Amino acid sequence: MSNKITYISQDHLITQQATAEKQFIAEFAKKDYTIEAPYVVKNPYLINPLCALIMFKTSEEVSPTLTVCGKRYSREDLSHTFAAGTVHRLPVLGLYEDFANRVIISLPDGTTSSVTIQTATLPKAVCRCRNISASADYLQNNLMFLTPAGKNLPTAYDYKGDIRWMLTEGTMFDIKRAANGNILTGSNRFCRMPYNATGLIELDMLGKIYKEYRLPGNYHHDHFEMEDGNLLILTQDFHTDTVEDMCVLVDRNTGDILRTWDYKKVLPQNVAGSGSQSDHDWFHNNAVWYDKPTNSLTLSGRHQDAIINLDYDTGKLNWIIGDPEGWPQEMVDKYFFAPVGDVNNFDWQYEQHACVVCPDGDIMVFDNGQFRAKSKENYLKNCENFSRGVRYRIDTEKMEIKQVWQYGKERGQDFFSPYIGNVEYYADGHYLIHSGGIGFKNGIAADHLGAHMDKNDPTVELRSVTVEEKDGVVLYQLETEGNFYRAEKLPLYHDGDNVTFGPGQLLGKLDVTPEFDTVPDAEEANCLPDSWHAIKIEEDEDRIVFHGKFERGSLVMLCLEGDAKSHHYYINTSAVPYLAMCSGAFLEKDDRDIKLNISKEGLDGKLAIKIIINDKKYDTGVVIFTSYRKR
Amino acid sequence: MIQEINTEEYDALDRSGPMLVEFYSKTCGPCKMLAFVLRDIDKLMPDFKIFIIDFDENNELKERLGVKGFPTILLMKEGVEVSRLTGLKQKPVIIKAIEEIL
Repeated sequence: MSNKITYISQDHLITQQATAEKQFIAEFAKKDYTIEAPYVVKNPYLINPLCALIMFKTSEEVSPTLTVCGKRYSREDLSHTFAAGTVHRLPVLGLYEDFANRVIISLPDGTTSSVTIQTATLPKAVCRCRNISASADYLQNNLMFLTPAGKNLPTAYDYKGDIRWMLTEGTMFDIKRAANGNILTGSNRFCRMPYNATGLIELDMLGKIYKEYRLPGNYHHDHFEMEDGNLLILTQDFHTDTVEDMCVLVDRNTGDILRTWDYKKVLPQNVAGSGSQSDHDWFHNNAVWYDKPTNSLTLSGRHQDAIINLDYDTGKLNWIIGDPEGWPQEMVDKYFFAPVGDVNNFDWQYEQHACVVCPDGDIMVFDNGQFRAKSKENYLKNCENFSRGVRYRIDTEKMEIKQVWQYGKERGQDFFSPYIGNVEYYADGHYLIHSGGIGFKNGIAADHLGAHMDKNDPTVELRSVTVEEKDGVVLYQLETEGNFYRAEKLPLYHDGDNVTFGPGQLLGKLDVTPEFDTVPDAEEANCLPDSWHAIKIEEDEDRIVFHGKFERGSLVMLCLEGDAKSHHYYINTSAVPYLAMCSGAFLEKDDRDIKLNISKEGLDGKLAIKIIINDKKYDTGVVIFTSYRKR
Repeated sequence: MIQEINTEEYDALDRSGPMLVEFYSKTCGPCKMLAFVLRDIDKLMPDFKIFIIDFDENNELKERLGVKGFPTILLMKEGVEVSRLTGLKQKPVIIKAIEEIL
């Protein structure tokens, strides 16, 4: 037996990256680096091992071209020509892992030089391509970006299935390219179980984070960039009893919340529940889309098997796509559509993800199909079920709906994802369908979500399958290990600034973590807790994350004790069943391992961290000072 | 006044007036915390009747009252359930529920 506490103080990645950037800029300034002998920084922003930054100066203003040579032949080369200048900082993107990558820099006058960049083997958590069917002509300079649904990592694959981009931090949920060329995705910073991250991050392909948009209700599932750059982000209010039922509009420059849509105001919470619904997670909003022609928000609610549309200005409910069974008749009459056309082959969507509004107003969605019925007695088993991409045409005057396309039903359980997934519209007849949550147990579709399955169990197989279909022909299929939340096809480079120097910003704010107003009696233990509890306290600029292992049924409270004021946080040690687990990034193998995030909002001064376990109070010996650096 | 009772004692109770009945389990962390919350409420409202019942040892009673989990708080008046709270709640929530039956 021993007694131990682990304390880790680590700067936010934005701060670490700013420090690293300062150092390599200073190093570059020490010498006159030329195209023949450029300055090369591997993985400059610490989280992308398949990239580098090449810097040099030229006497004349020139526009350099950088080429990452293909592994096999020049057809595979990735090239980009950068804006003219005399000081050049060229992101090198798309390096092969564990390989001596040849990188050529050339100038318009014919001057050429090359450098070799050796990379290492990627981390074990990376999911490999199992099969790919694609051509270089079809994929061109694009990679398929997949975002993790568990402890795997964000990864992008080329036409051969080679990983050419990845992050070593588990950023999560949606990934989209912003109008300025950066990418927007969920932060990897834990805030609340099951999968709520502190906010949304904007980063470039090197992995440099420019902004983190923190939210009091945290970030989950999806976001959407408006024409003016402001961001729609899915969130919730943790000071109410429900979750995943709010959307906010966030100012792109300040991180301030400009507007809030609370779906509790337009929908009843206790009707038409899907098989995964709970009182707490009654709607499970997993997608948002703004449509300019109709000035409306389209939102996917997995736990009501419903896609809803709200007027952007008034927040008023316009319509609902979904099986009307279980909804109040007055709502069915007012908001629901009646199928028309080939009704024999019409299917409603169930527990869907990722709604998209097409340019002509059609609605596309990834229809997971979990349960595929409203009444328990009609639920389909996963092994008899199917998932698909589907496109519906809606007539909001006649309130009629027609299914105009689907892909996936014919593949049955092989393409079945009980959770996650997305569709993309490229043009009429040209779509992406991503079934990212496939899980088999003993060769048949498993009863559990992938995030809850043990991938080390030899009878378990987790898969992600991404398909692109054009005019009914499959032109691309990627099958990988593991489960991936979404797929997005993107080129590595864009025509804007592919890197900008200067420190990133932490915008917005977290909420004040709710406290418990009753403190149980406990005797001072005068020792550290037993090391079995594996107590770990992590601290960064804006939060403290407490980790510990506790037997179920223990009474546990975290106490931050100050001279002027103390703060108390109850820690629930009961097993919590999660019916939805769209990302298992924060899930622990042993459900006795518990973590609690405490925002530094509302904390002030010197605070001693103590922990009550049943009838004993232990002083961890860790003291924090909460005059934290505000940006 | 907080008093632990069993099924027989519950059935024999004079259930006139308002009271709070909590079903708890010895294996439940939230129940342990709730015991301290109820203790504090008892200090604030010493005349209000609070009864606690072991969920695991009073099966017939819990089924009769439709209690499916723990902790569950029943707010009762004249022997009739007026409202119920499930899971751990903080003092203000419980006090508000009590005030509604006073």
